[in-house]
Amino acid sequence: MAEDVAFADLPTESPLGAPLDWAWLRGTRAEWGIHPKPGPRGLTMLDIATGTYGEVPDRPPHRSMAPRGADVDDDTADMGYILNRKTDVWADNVVELYEEAVARQWSATRDIPWGELRELPSDLEHAMCQLCTLLSEVEMIAADLPAKWMWRLNHDFIEAKMFLCTQIMDEARHAEVFRKRALANGGGLLLSRSGPTSLLRTIIEAKTYTQASALMHLLGEGFVLDIFRMGELIAPSDVEKRIFRMCMQDEARHVAYGTMHLRYAVEHDPDVAEEIHEALDVGEQVLIDFGTAPDVSTALAVLLAGGTEHVEDKGFPLSLELTKKQLTSYLARCERAGVGRLERSSIPFDLLDIDIDALRDTARSKR
Amino acid sequence: MSAIDTMAFFDSLADEMNAHSERYLSLGEAKMVVEVVIGRPASDFRARLVFEGVSCSGVTGPGSAPDADFRLEGPLEAWQAMFDDIAAHGHATGRYTINSLTLLGHEIACFGDDPMGLDKFSRFNQTLQEFLDGAGYVAAGAR
Repeated sequence: MAEDVAFADLPTESPLGAPLDWAWLRGTRAEWGIHPKPGPRGLTMLDIATGTYGEVPDRPPHRSMAPRGADVDDDTADMGYILNRKTDVWADNVVELYEEAVARQWSATRDIPWGELRELPSDLEHAMCQLCTLLSEVEMIAADLPAKWMWRLNHDFIEAKMFLCTQIMDEARHAEVFRKRALANGGGLLLSRSGPTSLLRTIIEAKTYTQASALMHLLGEGFVLDIFRMGELIAPSDVEKRIFRMCMQDEARHVAYGTMHLRYAVEHDPDVAEEIHEALDVGEQVLIDFGTAPDVSTALAVLLAGGTEHVEDKGFPLSLELTKKQLTSYLARCERAGVGRLERSSIPFDLLDIDIDALRDTARSKR
Repeated sequence: MSAIDTMAFFDSLADEMNAHSERYLSLGEAKMVVEVVIGRPASDFRARLVFEGVSCSGVTGPGSAPDADFRLEGPLEAWQAMFDDIAAHGHATGRYTINSLTLLGHEIACFGDDPMGLDKFSRFNQTLQEFLDGAGYVAAGAR
């Protein structure tokens, strides 16, 4: 507690006769006088998480917007938060990811060399525009979903809330950059089918935040991350390569948060694992419908083949090979999150020629 | 320019990055440890690259701390082809970018024990690509 002797003679009323409150002059309860030191990057959220300011309560005592660590009046209004347990939203890497997100923001206007776009053969331009149409559509779900839940999230979990704010900005930029690419090279926005919408509805209508995070961060964004990796591979020019690489970076942060949030939730409340599994049971089916939708698979295959001519002998085989990698990455992340799906998933691994026994062995060796 | 399967070569890439941090500032800070494995008939070459902030703060041999987040592994010919493409164009093109090579995984593959470490390959991919593209500046300087 700071000394308040020097402030003992302050007036008790304002010049207009209103009572005055000088309680704030007494300083804070414990950390007054501590000076967090900036590191080489500047003063990060990790640097200021000193003493009680770094302690995130499992069950916050208040449901107000008071900043964690402040002295809070007992009669402060309840904001109606429903995510009031740390296990509801927390991830051990969320503060690091917030700082990373802030440091690695980019501009779809400035940081893409739009002037280097070159005219493409008609089939490739159509395929790129179809892919961009789809991505421009699905990316905003990862902004809408956090927005749906953020105002219900207890303010003591401010770092998680701040990270979700960065995700919303990231997704706005993704929708922007794919819209721009579709329109920038003489093409345009092409077909929007019902398949993606079914997936998006499943995600946005998840009953709990943790189910929503499983569907969006782990499943949806995990798959989109791999689509971005494919996009970089099949990009017809350095412009698209840059777009996909920059988007990859953002998407991987979201996946990293979701994976570790689910892990945190399951470790601290094992019962939540079944809730996550139930969401993924449904989500995987919807995602398969989405991934095998004719317009998505054909556009990717044309880009992988370098045109329609070799779509059958090159495009589809390569697409299948990459789909296997997508699913293998997803299953590994599920294991890391503590919700192993190898025995639970209804994805037809045999049909896709995925060596499930090898994955089981790997999973066992890491448990 | 040094042969690519030498510490001197990766030191030169680190020096190039550290001398031109302006190219990395707009990408933002990175934090990852990458192990490069170049397969050779007799014995593999291994280098561990430590990225902190906008610099490559360390190029060390195998077994040195800290542990790598992920490992990039392929035969000498594949790495040579990638760096030749970078030297020819100033940056990696087409299927010679590190993402493209590892996604296909036919020549150079990305391995890791932890999916969170592996995902750092994606989280800091543009930084890693710029670092490898530094070979283009090194090659141009050597000419």
